[in-house]
Amino acid sequence: MGLELSSPYLILRGYLYIMKNKIWEIFLFIGPSLLLLLVFTVLPVITSLFLSITDFNAYSFLDWSKTKIIWFQNFIDVLHDDLFWKAVLNTFYAFILAYPLTIFFSLLFAFLLNREETYFKNFFRLLIYLPSVTSTIAIAVVWSWILNPKYGLLNWFLGLFGLPPQEWLSDTRWAMFVVVSLVVWKAIGPNMLLFIAGLQGIPEELYESAEIDGANRWQQFWYITLPGLRPVLLFVSVMLGIGYLQLFEEPYMLTGGGPLNSTLSIVLYLYQKGFRAFEFGYASSVALILFVMIFGLTYIQMKMRVFQD
Amino acid sequence: MRRNLLIIMILLIILSSFSLSQVKTIKIWAMGEEAKNLNIMAEKFTKETGIKVDVQPLPWTAAFSKILTGVAGRQVPDLAMMGTTWMAPFSAMGAFEDLGSYIAKSKVVKPENFFAGSWETVVYNNKVYGVPWYVDVRVLYYRTDMLKEVGYNKAPDTWDELYDAIKKLSQKYGVGKTGIGLSPTEAANFMPFVWQNGGDIIDKNKNILVKNPEFIEALEFYSRFFKENLVAKGGANVFVDFESGLLPMFFSGPWMVSMIKEQVPKITGKWTVSIMPKKKTRTSFVGGSNWVIFKDSKNKKEAWSFIEFMTRSENQLEWYKILRSLPALREVWNRPELSNDPITRVFREQLDDAKSTPIVPEWDKIETALGRRVEEVCLGNRDVKEGVELLYKDLQKILRK
Amino acid sequence: MRKRKVGILQQILVHGFLIIASIVTATPFFWMLITSFKTPGEIYTIPPKFIPSEITLKNYIDLFKGINFWRPLLNTLIIVTIAPPLSILLNSMAGYAFSKFRFRGRDTLIFLILATMMIPGQMTLIPAYLIVRILNMLNTYQGIIIPGLVGAGSIFFWRQFIKGIPDDLIESAKIDGANEIFIYFKIILPLSTPFFITSFVFAFIGAWNSFLWPLIVATDESMYTLPVAVSVIAGQYGENIGTILAGSTIVVFPILIVFLIAQRYVIKGIAMTGLKF
Repeated sequence: MGLELSSPYLILRGYLYIMKNKIWEIFLFIGPSLLLLLVFTVLPVITSLFLSITDFNAYSFLDWSKTKIIWFQNFIDVLHDDLFWKAVLNTFYAFILAYPLTIFFSLLFAFLLNREETYFKNFFRLLIYLPSVTSTIAIAVVWSWILNPKYGLLNWFLGLFGLPPQEWLSDTRWAMFVVVSLVVWKAIGPNMLLFIAGLQGIPEELYESAEIDGANRWQQFWYITLPGLRPVLLFVSVMLGIGYLQLFEEPYMLTGGGPLNSTLSIVLYLYQKGFRAFEFGYASSVALILFVMIFGLTYIQMKMRVFQD
Repeated sequence: MRRNLLIIMILLIILSSFSLSQVKTIKIWAMGEEAKNLNIMAEKFTKETGIKVDVQPLPWTAAFSKILTGVAGRQVPDLAMMGTTWMAPFSAMGAFEDLGSYIAKSKVVKPENFFAGSWETVVYNNKVYGVPWYVDVRVLYYRTDMLKEVGYNKAPDTWDELYDAIKKLSQKYGVGKTGIGLSPTEAANFMPFVWQNGGDIIDKNKNILVKNPEFIEALEFYSRFFKENLVAKGGANVFVDFESGLLPMFFSGPWMVSMIKEQVPKITGKWTVSIMPKKKTRTSFVGGSNWVIFKDSKNKKEAWSFIEFMTRSENQLEWYKILRSLPALREVWNRPELSNDPITRVFREQLDDAKSTPIVPEWDKIETALGRRVEEVCLGNRDVKEGVELLYKDLQKILRK
Repeated sequence: MRKRKVGILQQILVHGFLIIASIVTATPFFWMLITSFKTPGEIYTIPPKFIPSEITLKNYIDLFKGINFWRPLLNTLIIVTIAPPLSILLNSMAGYAFSKFRFRGRDTLIFLILATMMIPGQMTLIPAYLIVRILNMLNTYQGIIIPGLVGAGSIFFWRQFIKGIPDDLIESAKIDGANEIFIYFKIILPLSTPFFITSFVFAFIGAWNSFLWPLIVATDESMYTLPVAVSVIAGQYGENIGTILAGSTIVVFPILIVFLIAQRYVIKGIAMTGLKF
């Protein structure tokens, strides 16, 4: 980015501005991507908005004319469905649990693995990153086996300490904790790497001059490290917000939304209504409501003073 | 000489292409084990009639949506095997051919030849849209040795005995270490108890019956097992748990018989089946598959001849021999292969008192709502009165739409 | 990095903690692998057996003979061979164009494309399904691959990366008469190698693990991908956990191996994007 400010570059740019790219080049390089984006992103969004005001369902598949425009009836039905609100509550509950845990552990490991004095850094870093690379579906299967009340590893392990076995996946008290644990287990790796990069971006001189001024380690952390991590923190926070509100694969595989819908997330609810009951109009309105929530959360986070530079 | 040969050859070619165009092929969609074995019957059919059969297998998990998209996109086969609980939604969509005129002319397919509960499932809006192929009915599977230990030399005969048996087993082995197999969400598990008490979920006119005392009493009885920790939980799968004693009693259909023998042969001789315990009746759940012809099929006559073929007594018997699925045709049950087998006799007895869940297009949604509220009463803290109130409201919403 | 003397206690605590974390992280993988080679007798035992006395391949054999696991494996292999290269090609070409091309409306367009990043996948899921259905691409490879090929985020990242390539290289090539295609293949691509590899590895992993979209697009088992197949097996009545975990192992371990090999580039790649805050 430093290039842009040097004057010879500016002159060159001005000169070459006259040389615009030919149409065919633009078509070739951008055309296909733009077309795909239009067909599979833009068009679906517009369609989704339209579907949400209709009663499009399985029967509409057969006969388009049977679809009626019902304006806001879908939204009213969604907001009156206590199952929807349960899904909202569950999703935010998961977020409130997972968000701090993810940030805490990612930061913790980032610090530990950024220390000069730690041995085998690469090994640990790799190992902690591995879970994020694997298929949630495949991993959820072995997790549920480990959590099996009778034959599972976890209850056996707890038994060694005299702790009673628990029904991890069929107990409404534990089910959401389990789902959140899987989510966090997978999320730590990439976020840890981001924090490491962020830590390494803080100039050494700041620490050195602080040390000369007599600041202790805690003060250095509070006044140098944390502020220096602000941009990364904002990025991570926004991404976590967007990601966690769309929680789907973990509850789908571990609990199917149960027991008693205690792990039903918004997207799982949407999936059930859309692809199991084929109520596409209704499900589209759920998607729109979810979008508004994600947008709202992102906006709030970006405005929060904690993250301002 | 050469010219004559040429003429003969051309004639032969014309003749053979003529007969080739006469060979019809019917396409069938089938699922599960049935799809894997249907070819055996199909070959026999082709030998008899010259009509070729092309069986396309669909997995049960994807079958409903595949059929749905097929119907919507008008890309359907000639025939399909259709689960009894799927008959209503697709009939309501107009996907199937009305078979009334075919049945009137048929010597083989007559309503009285089938079990009443099974014939119920092919009728929608007073028209007949399918022909039963095989049935399944749920019965009680139990460990004879374990029940003997607590004083039951035969299966529990009444509701009270059922409760008593599992209570005694639980006291003997420890609460939570053993239990009966009951699902809080499956209608096929729960509804029989409602029917045995003389109730139902909705009646023929779609009146909601869940607030009636019969329904409430059945739900109270059902949830009692859960509340007193008498339901098996935390096991691995049905077979492992049946063998290990975690699951000494459960309700299921005929397919389990050969699977149990295969997967856990160690307990052979230590288990058997019995008809449902009695309250007012012993009504069980009947399911199965029916044959349907799609309205958009171009080979309806040929498809119908396949249905007649599969309905014939000897072919129903042969299908039983292949897969052990229960014939829908009543007279086949008099054959020695079925009447001499003690386990099959139990299924036969149960078939005389078995119902299907309501054949309405909304059944899927009704079952989901039913499962949810029953689960809340059984596993959550919902009390029975509250549960049925909420279920009533759920059903009102579903049926009004 | 500051050099400091640290106490033995601190070192022990730190490394001890890291070791425990590693064990927690690695256990599911280890357990999955071990269990997939155990017989049912050894799987369903209390207490759990860590070292099986009998190793069997039956679970894997069942997977391929009984349940047809070949087809999902084939499907996934086809998808990971076609989708990542195509997607990188499309995204990097667009990224290059938005970074170095000159035309009217260029910056407005990239802004609009960025805006589409904000749309959650669930909003587009159902209509995308309906569109694919109308295009008759349901239950086909095209239906699974094409909708996911282009991503606003990818285009943006490529644009940012290519911005770092000095303009003089491009200009001098143009003066020598090269056209954009030549420049793209001979200049941009070679200079982007680490980013290229990173993108490829992530695209590969994403394609291998993709679950929800193939689940929806496939209407019968002939088009299941590996993760979808595993979820179907796991949901089946009375299935032996050893077989299910064998399926999981096949889904997970190839990725682990690919990642181990490529990890140097990948971690560097992430760090590179990380530094661009």
